Parts: sequence; C-alpha cells; structure tokens
Amino acid sequence: MSLFKPRVPLAPLEYTKRLWMRAWVGLVLFFLYAPLLTLIAFSFNDSRRGNVVWRGFTFDYYEKALNNESLMIAMGNSLTIALISTIVSVVIGALAAVMLWRFRFPGKTATEGAMALPIVVPEICMGVAMLVFFAKIGFPTDLPWPFSLGAIIIAHITFCFPFVTMVVRSRLTSFNREEEEAAKDLGATEWQAFRDVLLPHMKPGLVAGALLAFTLSLDDFVITFFTSGPNTITFPVKVYSMVRFSVTPEVNAASALLIALTVILTTIALKVQSRMGGTPQGH
Amino acid sequence: MQDWKLNRALFASIASAPTLWLVLFFIVPLGLVWLYSFGTNVGLTEIDISGTFANYARALEPLYLGIFLKSVWIAGLTTVICLVVGFPVALAIVFATPKWRPWLLLGIMLPFWTNLLIRTYALMAVLRTEGFANQTIGWMWDKWSGLMTFAGLQPLGDFTPLPLLYNNFAVVLGLVYVHLPFMVLPLYAALDRLDKSLIEASLDLGAGHVRTLLSIVAPLAAPGIISGIIITFVPALGAYLTPDLLGGTDSQMIANVIERQFKRANDWPFGAALSFLLMYATFIAIAFQAMKSRQAERRQ
Amino acid sequence: MNSFDSIRKRIGRRSLLQGLGAAAIGITFTGALAGCEKKEAGKASTGEEPKLNFYNWDTYIGETTLDDFKDTSGIEVNMSLFATNDELFAKLRAGNPGFDVIVPSNDFVERMVQADMLEQLDHSKIPNFANVGAAFKDVAYDPGRKFSMPYTWLTLGIGYRKSKVDGVPDSWKWLFDSDKYKGRISVLSEAGDMFRLGAKYLGHSVNGVTPELVKQIEAMLIKQKPFIKAFHEDNGQDLLLSGEVDLVLEYNGDIAQIMAEDDDIDFVLPKEGSQLNSDTLAIPKGAPHPENAHAFINYLLDAEAGKKIAEYILFPTPNDAAKALMPADYRDNKVIFPTAEQLAKCEYAAYDGKMQPIFEEAFTRVRAA
Repeated sequence: MSLFKPRVPLAPLEYTKRLWMRAWVGLVLFFLYAPLLTLIAFSFNDSRRGNVVWRGFTFDYYEKALNNESLMIAMGNSLTIALISTIVSVVIGALAAVMLWRFRFPGKTATEGAMALPIVVPEICMGVAMLVFFAKIGFPTDLPWPFSLGAIIIAHITFCFPFVTMVVRSRLTSFNREEEEAAKDLGATEWQAFRDVLLPHMKPGLVAGALLAFTLSLDDFVITFFTSGPNTITFPVKVYSMVRFSVTPEVNAASALLIALTVILTTIALKVQSRMGGTPQGH
Repeated sequence: MQDWKLNRALFASIASAPTLWLVLFFIVPLGLVWLYSFGTNVGLTEIDISGTFANYARALEPLYLGIFLKSVWIAGLTTVICLVVGFPVALAIVFATPKWRPWLLLGIMLPFWTNLLIRTYALMAVLRTEGFANQTIGWMWDKWSGLMTFAGLQPLGDFTPLPLLYNNFAVVLGLVYVHLPFMVLPLYAALDRLDKSLIEASLDLGAGHVRTLLSIVAPLAAPGIISGIIITFVPALGAYLTPDLLGGTDSQMIANVIERQFKRANDWPFGAALSFLLMYATFIAIAFQAMKSRQAERRQ
Repeated sequence: MNSFDSIRKRIGRRSLLQGLGAAAIGITFTGALAGCEKKEAGKASTGEEPKLNFYNWDTYIGETTLDDFKDTSGIEVNMSLFATNDELFAKLRAGNPGFDVIVPSNDFVERMVQADMLEQLDHSKIPNFANVGAAFKDVAYDPGRKFSMPYTWLTLGIGYRKSKVDGVPDSWKWLFDSDKYKGRISVLSEAGDMFRLGAKYLGHSVNGVTPELVKQIEAMLIKQKPFIKAFHEDNGQDLLLSGEVDLVLEYNGDIAQIMAEDDDIDFVLPKEGSQLNSDTLAIPKGAPHPENAHAFINYLLDAEAGKKIAEYILFPTPNDAAKALMPADYRDNKVIFPTAEQLAKCEYAAYDGKMQPIFEEAFTRVRAA
C-alpha cells in the first residue's frame, strides 16, 4: 500500500504538509482497501458461499472462474459496455459542458436543469423508462454481439455523460479566456484554439469524468437489467442473480483478477508513456 | 460568455450532439414514465393516463415525506463527511508529482471497479459482530486490559462487540465508502494546476495552513466543491442497496420505497410520482442556482 | 504446456474475443446489420432453429444440465439471468424480448396468467409430467397445470442456531411476538410474506388477510421491531451462518444448504403452519421457440436430469422419479421434506392484486415507525 502514498515534492509549501497529509491519505486508503483486501482474501475461501465464513485456503476458485465461460463472457460484456460508454460519454459530456460554459442562449436555465436530471432519476425509474422506451420503438433484441449491447450502451451513456458535464464544467470556470483570445489574435482558427488552448485546460476534468463514467457504467445493475436482451449478461447482472443462492468465491476471484489486470495495464501504459515523451502530465 | 447568435454554426456543432442525445434517449423515455405519474392502474399491466393527481397526493402524505426528509438528512451527512474526508485527498493528488499522480488517482478509483454488491458484502464481513473490525478492537482491548492488570490497575471488563452493522451508522459509513470518489474527482479536476504562488504568498505572509486552506484554496475549489456536492448528494439520495444490506429495521430510504413500487407492489404510477417529486425538487434547486450565478455574472 | 495457452483454450475463443475486442468496436443503433447474421442451417427435431432462451436465476440448475440437453436434442440453451420475481415480472410487462422458458414462483404464475403473459402448455409434449408427485399435479395457483410445471418447491420456516436457542423454537411467536431473542432475530423484508405469516400466527389462513387484520399485524410488528436486528433480502441463511443472528425466517432449502456446512444449525416448521412456495417452468407469450421450450421443460422433468439438478441445488424436488434416484440422506431429510402432517398445515399464497399495495404500504409504515 505504500505504493499509493504520495511522494510530495520538496517545494516550500508541501514540505510541512507531508506528515498530516500522508497520514490522512493513508487512512483514507486503508478505509477504501480494507474491505477490498477482505474480498480478495475470501476469493481463496474453500466454501461455495464465498463471503460468509472462512473454511480454508484454496486456489480452486481462480481456476473455476477462468473456466467459467459465462462469467468471462459477462466480464467481457461489462468491460466492452463500460469502455464504449465512457468514450462516448466523455465526448458528449465535454461538448455539453462547453456549450453551457461558453454560450448564452434562450432556455439555458432549463437545459442546465435537464442536463442534471439523469443524475437525479432513481435508477429503477430510469430502468423502467428505458424498458418501455426500447419496447415501444421495437429495438431489435436478436442482433449479433456486440450490437446486442446497443440498448445497454445507449442507456449507460445517458446516465454517465451528465457526470462528465458536471466535472468538466466546474473545471472550465478556472479557464482564462484571454489565452484563447490571444491564440485567435495570433491567427489560430476556432478549432486550433480549442485543441491547443481549451482542451489541455480541460484535461483533468476529462480524466476525472472518464473515471467516473467508467466506474458508473461498470457497476450498474438496474438499468442494465431492464435494457438487456436475452443474450447480454453483464457482470453485475450475474452477481445479483447469484444472491438468492449466495455469491460464490468465483466472483471474488474474477474481481481480484480484474484489479490485478488494471494495475498491470496501468503500469505498462505509464511506462510506455514516460518512455515516449517524458512526464505524463507536466506542469 | 458569448451570445449564441454571434456564432450560430459553432453553437450548433457543439450543442447538437448533447442536446439531441438528451432529448432522444432521456427526455422521451422519461416522458413516458412522467405520463404514468398521472395515471391509474387498470388491471395488472395496463396504465390509464387519466390525468389524476392522486399519486402525487399520496406521495405527499406524511409517511412518505418523513422518509424523504430522513433520506435527505442521511445523504446530506454523507456528503459533508465525503467533503471533509475527500478534500485533503484531492489536495494530495494535486500536489503529487506527475509520476505519482496517476497512481493516486487509480488508487482512489480501483476499489470502485469491483462490483458494488460484493464490495458491500466485504464491508459487511469487516463490520459484523464477529467481523474483522470487532476482532481487531477486541484484541486491542484484551491487550490493553492485560497491560493494566500488569500495571496493577483494574482490568477492563469483557469486550462487548460494537454494533457496527444493521443501523444508520452502517448506512452512512457505507454511503461514504461508496461515494467518496464522486467528491474527490471533481475537487481534483477543479484544483489541478492551481496557482501555487497564491498559497506560497499566503504562507509567506504568516497565515497558517488551515487559514490558507480556508481563505485561498477553498474559494479556488468552489466550483469543484459545488459539483462534488451535487454528484455526491444526489446519488446518495438515490441509494437503495446500501440501506437494504447494511441498514437496520428503520433504515429505509426513499429509493427503497420507490424501488418497491416499481417491483413488488407493481404500482408504476405511484413509483413514478415519487420519482418525479424527487426530480422536480432537484430541477428547481439547480435551475435556481444557475439563475443566481447568472445574475451574479451580469452584475460584474 | 504453457499455462496461459491452456487457460485461453478453456475460456474459449468467443469470450476472449468479446473481452479483447472491446476497444475496437464501433456502434450501430439500428438493426441494419441484423440481416447480415447468418441463420443456422440446421434444425432441431422440434422443427425450429436449435436455440432456446432460458431465463433463470444463476446457479439454479444442474452443473451440466444445459450441456446434457444439447447432447440429447441438439438445442443450444442460452441462459439469461434475473435476480427476483419482481424484476422478471417488471421486465416482461413491457413485452417479451425473446425468452422461451422462464422460472416464476407460484404467485407470479397467477399474476402472469391474470395479465395474460403466459402461453398455455401442451401436455402431450410433456410426457415426463408423469414423474411429478401427486401433490403437485393439480394446484390451486394453476388448476390443471395449464400454464406451469413445477421445478422446485419450498416452505418458509425458522432456521436457528441450536446452541443459542432454548429447545426448538417451533412457533412464529419467537419471531413476531416475543422479546426473548431480542436483537438476535432476522426476518424477511418481503411485505406480503410478513403479513401472511403474521396472519398464520394469529390463526388465520395466509389467504384470509383482511385490511383490519393488516392493522392488527402492523401493530404487532411495530411492537416487535425493536427486537429484530434486520429485515434481510433473500440472504437470511448467510446471517445465520455468520453468527450475526440466531433465528432467521427463511426457506427450508436455503437452510438445508447451510446445515451441510454447520452442525449447529437446524430448521423448524412452526406448529401454526406456514406458507408454501414453488418455482415453476413456464413459457411466456411471444416465445420465439415454443416447440423447443416444451422439449426443454420435458427434459427438466426427466428423472435423471431432475436428479442432477436436485444434487446441485439441494432444494426439495416435486419430481418423484428424480427423488427416488437421490441418496437416502436427501430423501429422508426432514428439513428438505417435512412430514405430511406438517405440510397439511401449509398453504400456497394466492396472488391478491388488491391486498399487495396494502401490504406494501403497511410494511413501509412498520419500517418508518
């Protein structure tokens, strides 16, 4: 866990902050990771009902999880949905944020309120709305993979992009418009000014928004359930369906593998990035 | 801010995609359910849109208003705790070196890429009477008690496990656990690359860290704090799984009630009315806030 | 042998593609591409394309049952998952998106028949119906078994930890009307079940609950609430197993499963009687492969197939032929199969569209009190 602790640079102001800041972040990470470690520990539990009582150590459930085709398909579906939803949500969400930040137009207050509504709707209400909507327009349910995930992805983008908008918009308030003006004065087109001045400023907002969208999409059960067809099981749907007869340690094993995979992929990505061009996010 | 008429083409190219998406895939589907909220059940699957307000009248009964207020209180408490806990974390990410920043961000997010239900199960394993939290505290209690006996003092009595689960405390703890990144990420996004010379100047001029934090950093983070509060509070208000699994006999929240209307009670019109009351309230609050900030802008 | 290779083979090409292909996928909203999908050339013996969409709970089937069925009939079963009957009903309310066989509980069979959501079964295509026990051949919730075939059945009762409880807690009193086990009780969060069982405790039929009786039970539950630790969803067995509570309102099948893991746990059917429950197999209206669906239901009622299912899920089976093939410790298990005398006092809950919202609102009041 010391891996995640910040190495505070020795600038004058951070210098003194080290102690309490590190302790605080350490405590928060402990709070976040204690249940996660429990979860991983239970993935080695030798009992069909994974998360209840410890019955001894086994690696079996990792093998079972990897052999469990339906579990792997569900995982693949969830990741596919989350990835596509995140990309589209970030684009749409960022556009919405720029629109609300930059322009004055009639009905703006209403638009702003409406953009926040997908955050507010109770999940079940949105799930039912989507169910009725897709049934009414006769959305086909027998498409081949990955198009069979279309309805789910549409629904996910709808509830993810307002989160991106919210975060990006609050980032934009600190933007210094004079920079953009200056760029344009120097002959930059609208697009160049956007790409070279506005976009870099938005970047932390986009990263945060993407992380939020990915998390929300990956974890959604209710809306997914109501928009899924007969051949589109996602990971959360699988897990919730297990509750009646107890969730098996295979699920814990699969989650642990996903965590490990994320860490490995991030390491590789950061290595590649730093080799290709210095620091990932310079000041 | 630019008037849209000054650059119609640009406005259209930016606004069309989000607006179209919102109308087509949100307003229209939700409109169907909105109509249900003025309907009556006819048989098991038919809803007659009769224009009645009976569902809203029922939703405004003291029973449901009370649950609603309680949910607001719990979600509010969750939001405040998330803000207090998350602010220093966001600062830590902002001040981290570029090499560490991605790792910290990932470190905050990684637990949330595990399914909510099994994460909640894991939290239950930590919190329950014979769970790890109580075992750890009990162990420390025993050691301390032994130490006191050793020092010739009265030993502590037997350790009684703390009731950490199946009560409102567990619900708030669970909600904080689930919603923390919703606070940290907007704060990070707002504070990233903030002008550090301001902080240095403040410290140079003799202001303490706390005062610097409150008078320099917090205002800079204000937009992030506001959006953080919104995207923490609102989803926390809609939480149903956490109160269901961690809560005690009186921990139901409004989303649990709404969920039951759509499912077990098979009363979609009433569920729709409850949901839309929630949305009307938020819509008004957000529109009001947007209007005020616009007025403030104009005055400048 | 390279271990990654072996794993990859086992995962199968399809899932690997699904997982890795994620990044490279464009998206099309319409069914334009549906036409490109090649129809399978072969046909099953039923005359339909060899496919079947089965809607069930996860792990609620024998481990090899679907593969075995494919071997005998050539029909590939694709199992989708739901988590509760309520979700099943809510989802099919807007129309059947393509499911052939579903697994609703008895009261939902009634609901769905009333809502005209189920297809009538053709008994001539289900000869294995002969394997079903006499008690399940004709039931109140589906007279003549026109719409549903029994899959499993269950009864509610009290699961308890022997070492922590005085004698046998053989009355609903200990859950509903007593502070003796204060803070060590967990009951169901299902409003209907709670009120029906409350009525049973007070000496009424589970189907004879009147609005006046609801008030009385509501008052009783509000009085009892401080002594109850939690209203659990469908995971009461976990609470009992982890030692969180000592008495729990649960289904016998669920408690039978954890009794295999913990000797200190037992189950009792209260003397006042209880509520029966049955999961059934049914075909929803608009099923794309009704012939395959009949063949599949018939297969699940087969003795050998039924035995494999019962072995894995350990719930009581209504299939006499399958039960006969099971080992004695299952057949003679008094928890899984209560005596006829005990069962005589148990009833199926009928679906009552008028009372359901009343139960819900009363239970919301209990929780808010």
